[in-house]
Amino acid sequence: MTDSKYFTTTKKGEIFELKSELNNDKKEKKKEAVKKVIASMTVGKDVSALFPDVVNCMQTDNLELKKLVYLYLMNYAKSQPDMAIMAVNTFVKDCEDPNPLIRALAVRTMGCIRVDKITEYLCEPLRKCLKDEDPYVRKTAAVCVAKLYDISSGLVEDQGFLEQLKELLSDSNPMVVANAVAALSEINESSPTGQPLVELSTTTINKLLTALNECTEWGQVFILDSLSNYTPRDEREAQSICERITPRLAHANAAVVLSAVKVLIKMMEILQGDVEFCNTLSKKLAPPLVTLLSSEPEVQYVALRNINLIVQKKPDILKHEMKVFFVKYNDPIYVKLEKLDIMIRLASQGNIAQVLSELKEYATEVDVDFVRKAVRAIGRCAIKVEPSAERCVSTLLDLIQTKVNYVVQEAIVVIKDIFRKYPNKYESIISTLCENLDTLDEPEARASMVWIIGEYAERIDNADELLDSFLEGFADENAQVQLQLLTAVVKLFLKRPQHTQGLVQHVLSLATQDSDNPDLRDRGFIYWRLLSTDPAAAKEVVLADKPLISEETDLLEPTLLDELICHISSLASVYHKPPTAFVEGRSAGIRKTLPVRQGSDETVAPEATVIPNQESLIGDLLSMDLGGTAAPPPVPAAAPTSNVDLLGGGLDVLLGTGPDITGGAAPSTTGLLGDIFGITTTPTMYTPPKALWLPADKGKGLVIQGTFARRSGQIYMELNLTNKAMQAMVGFAIQFNKNSFGLSPSVPMNVSALQPGQSLEYSLPLGTTGPVQRMEPLTTLQVAIKNNVDVFYYACQIPIQILFIEDGTLDKRVFLTTWRDIPSANEVQYTLNDIKGTTDSISNKMTLNNIFTIAKRNVEGQDMLYQSLKLTNNIWVLLELKLTPGLTYATLSLKSRSVEVAPYVFQAYDMICKN
Amino acid sequence: MGVLFSYFKSLIGAREMRILILGLDGAGKTTILYRLQVGEVVTTIPTIGFNVEQVTYKNLKFQVWDLGGQTSIRPYWRCYYSNTDAIIYVVDSADKERMGISKDELFHMLREEELQDAILVVLANKQDIPGCMSLKEVHQALGLEALKNRTFQIFKTSATKGEGLDMAMEWLANALKNRK
Repeated sequence: MTDSKYFTTTKKGEIFELKSELNNDKKEKKKEAVKKVIASMTVGKDVSALFPDVVNCMQTDNLELKKLVYLYLMNYAKSQPDMAIMAVNTFVKDCEDPNPLIRALAVRTMGCIRVDKITEYLCEPLRKCLKDEDPYVRKTAAVCVAKLYDISSGLVEDQGFLEQLKELLSDSNPMVVANAVAALSEINESSPTGQPLVELSTTTINKLLTALNECTEWGQVFILDSLSNYTPRDEREAQSICERITPRLAHANAAVVLSAVKVLIKMMEILQGDVEFCNTLSKKLAPPLVTLLSSEPEVQYVALRNINLIVQKKPDILKHEMKVFFVKYNDPIYVKLEKLDIMIRLASQGNIAQVLSELKEYATEVDVDFVRKAVRAIGRCAIKVEPSAERCVSTLLDLIQTKVNYVVQEAIVVIKDIFRKYPNKYESIISTLCENLDTLDEPEARASMVWIIGEYAERIDNADELLDSFLEGFADENAQVQLQLLTAVVKLFLKRPQHTQGLVQHVLSLATQDSDNPDLRDRGFIYWRLLSTDPAAAKEVVLADKPLISEETDLLEPTLLDELICHISSLASVYHKPPTAFVEGRSAGIRKTLPVRQGSDETVAPEATVIPNQESLIGDLLSMDLGGTAAPPPVPAAAPTSNVDLLGGGLDVLLGTGPDITGGAAPSTTGLLGDIFGITTTPTMYTPPKALWLPADKGKGLVIQGTFARRSGQIYMELNLTNKAMQAMVGFAIQFNKNSFGLSPSVPMNVSALQPGQSLEYSLPLGTTGPVQRMEPLTTLQVAIKNNVDVFYYACQIPIQILFIEDGTLDKRVFLTTWRDIPSANEVQYTLNDIKGTTDSISNKMTLNNIFTIAKRNVEGQDMLYQSLKLTNNIWVLLELKLTPGLTYATLSLKSRSVEVAPYVFQAYDMICKN
Repeated sequence: MGVLFSYFKSLIGAREMRILILGLDGAGKTTILYRLQVGEVVTTIPTIGFNVEQVTYKNLKFQVWDLGGQTSIRPYWRCYYSNTDAIIYVVDSADKERMGISKDELFHMLREEELQDAILVVLANKQDIPGCMSLKEVHQALGLEALKNRTFQIFKTSATKGEGLDMAMEWLANALKNRK
């Protein structure tokens, strides 16, 4: 008996038992068996092997059994896509069953079976069910269309399901209408073009509004959500929509209320002109929002996150409701923090006294996060409500007196902002702050303190000593603190140059020589050069007047806010992020925005100079660099004003933009990369890994990586195109300069469009019949690539092996005579190092790359290989490889009438050998 | 004892006979199934999958499986072979071109171990269509003379007209009863 016995199926075990039970004649037994199968499936056992047997139980008049089989199908159809076809006929039959429950069950299950092979068979039954006499079946079928769209959007469009779905919007049953509208909005949102596939018309909107009053709460949510995507034709229509929706605000379901609020806010945007109407509407919005805050904490949190958006968009709605946002002692922390946020947004002169006493109370709580936020809130109130700044500051001072470490630190951070807002007003408290220098251990607080010292260096007598003490541990400080220290010392130097020269030199050398942080180094160099060339200019730059700080530092960016308002009552409004940021696979095209305001010529919200926080600043800088198309080209690359300086030179080397570097370094990079990646040998022609040909800064956002390959006698240029710019790139074309081997694209480049962030692979077939011009180095290829942005040029190296053609064998005798005929001046020798493998394996590898072995000999323990190859331009190259088994090096002799190709052939030989 | 028991069983007719209706697509399998079950001609669409129905004939209960005949479905016929008592193989007598394919499928199927004891009924269907092959021609085209060690019979039928089916069932019922 051989070991094959282990692979034959044993007719034992659980699966086999289940199998025989499933094939039992008795219905009861069968049902029991399917139940067992489902139970195993639920606990995670793989029972997919029973697929045919379970499917055979599908045609039954027992509803319970049918449901179980359907459940099984939904789970395993994907793992048995071929076999799933056996279920189709039963679905078709069930969709015509006299029992509407079975019809609906069948159509629902069909939508859950995501197997391409059978979807087309399911269209007919679906079409029938969409026209079913029973509303329950129609409603289920409507949802099934949305599911089908997800599997195959083309099928839905071709089969006219969208039209059928649209017809369902006028269905007599409100539940059908709600489901049809839900399906349509889902389809619209996943539309690949970003354009809604089905637009709602005025008549359908009216039908929706009628259905709204009659359907279930979740149906109402669907309808309201799709109403929010509709832009009315004129103000009258908008008004009538508002009037018909307003009663929903009194609904018990929070989701209905929030969706209604969303629609109303959107409509208010259109009705901006009608102040009176808007005011009445605003008044109606407040009570339902307040009511939401009396639900359980989780709902409260969602409501608060949404209110946070609403308050930013329409501060008036809740301006009189400050008290409901006061924190309760038993609120969970996440509710507390959120309430605090809204309190600050609502703080005004009228209620500041109340707010401040509340905040002061909070600052003595036990929860550290909450206390910190409360302290910060006091500072923000000081900035926001000018007349009460004095009171806020004195409250902060009181808190500093408590000497509670984190309270002090938070206070210092906000006091820095208060100084910015009210210059020359509260500097008297600096001395109090300086007393607490030692307790500061958080980077933000330390940075703020250092900033204060630098800013008011002229008023702090021992500023130099203080800064000096910070410098001792410079290397251990957080980058934020280091940057502030650098700036503060420079400020101090500019204000009091007499005694601080040593200090400034010390800090500059610390920043430029000892630090690895490029930001810090750059700032250090800039200060250094400023100070050394023109101290007056340095003064103007470093001690320039700062823009006034705005009252709100954490307002959402207006376009983002508008987008989020459109997503009220969804996860996006809880995260305060657009759905594209967290929903995977969502096409980036669709962004909801509020409708353009009509008839409002006065600016509604005064332009606040918002000081971006550090993160967004960095974000801006980054996006500017990447989006080279929108921003002017990065300075270093386009700055030929070369007065010799450490900055320019250093940057050039860093960026490696010099054309000579890219051109010359390409072949060695590929070789190196190959070594690093340790590409495993596959039995194909060796293709070097892709090298970077066009970096983003030179390509204005277009990045090209590429290599060359030869597949079945055809040469390809393998390109990887990435768009790092903010806009789509279209109109690609490619052209080669004349080159040594006459390479030219044999077809025009066919890349339609490259979306922002997209990256695609493209193989360009090349011919060798183009114009020839000898290049130096021989294998250089200069390429021009064009798109709608610009024309870009780059040079790359052709790996010579792609030019070796398939009929490069020579007859033994011809080889011998040719070898003799070629003068010995045309012979070149080369030593291959680190050889691995035997003579035969090398020979095989070479054959794959069109270097053909003509003969093999063994002379005095040495293996001799005679090989030949032919280039596309008919240059013959004859090779002789001398290899001693056991040694890791070999001698390669080459003879050719055009001996210039020798170094490249050696290089290719070496590379092929090692890969 | 065992003989006695099986005698009783056949007397009561307790066990359902399992019958497969097979054949190329469009041969008329589904029409035959429903002709047997309800005695009427129903409009059918190509069976992508299977149909299964209970058919009672002369006190015998049959569980009749009608499997789709499309090329893509034929590979799954074998999932239905086990415990099969009889096979009704339906041939479209008017489809001369595909007679060869039909023969191949038939013999391929008969080679299966699980079907060694199954009784075979071949129905030369669509005899109502003018110019169709005769019973003899079908017999020859399918190479049925090569069948050894198998209880089988060929009948000419027309499912739409209801001709020949009774005779075939009669024979099948007897053959099943006589089988030990």
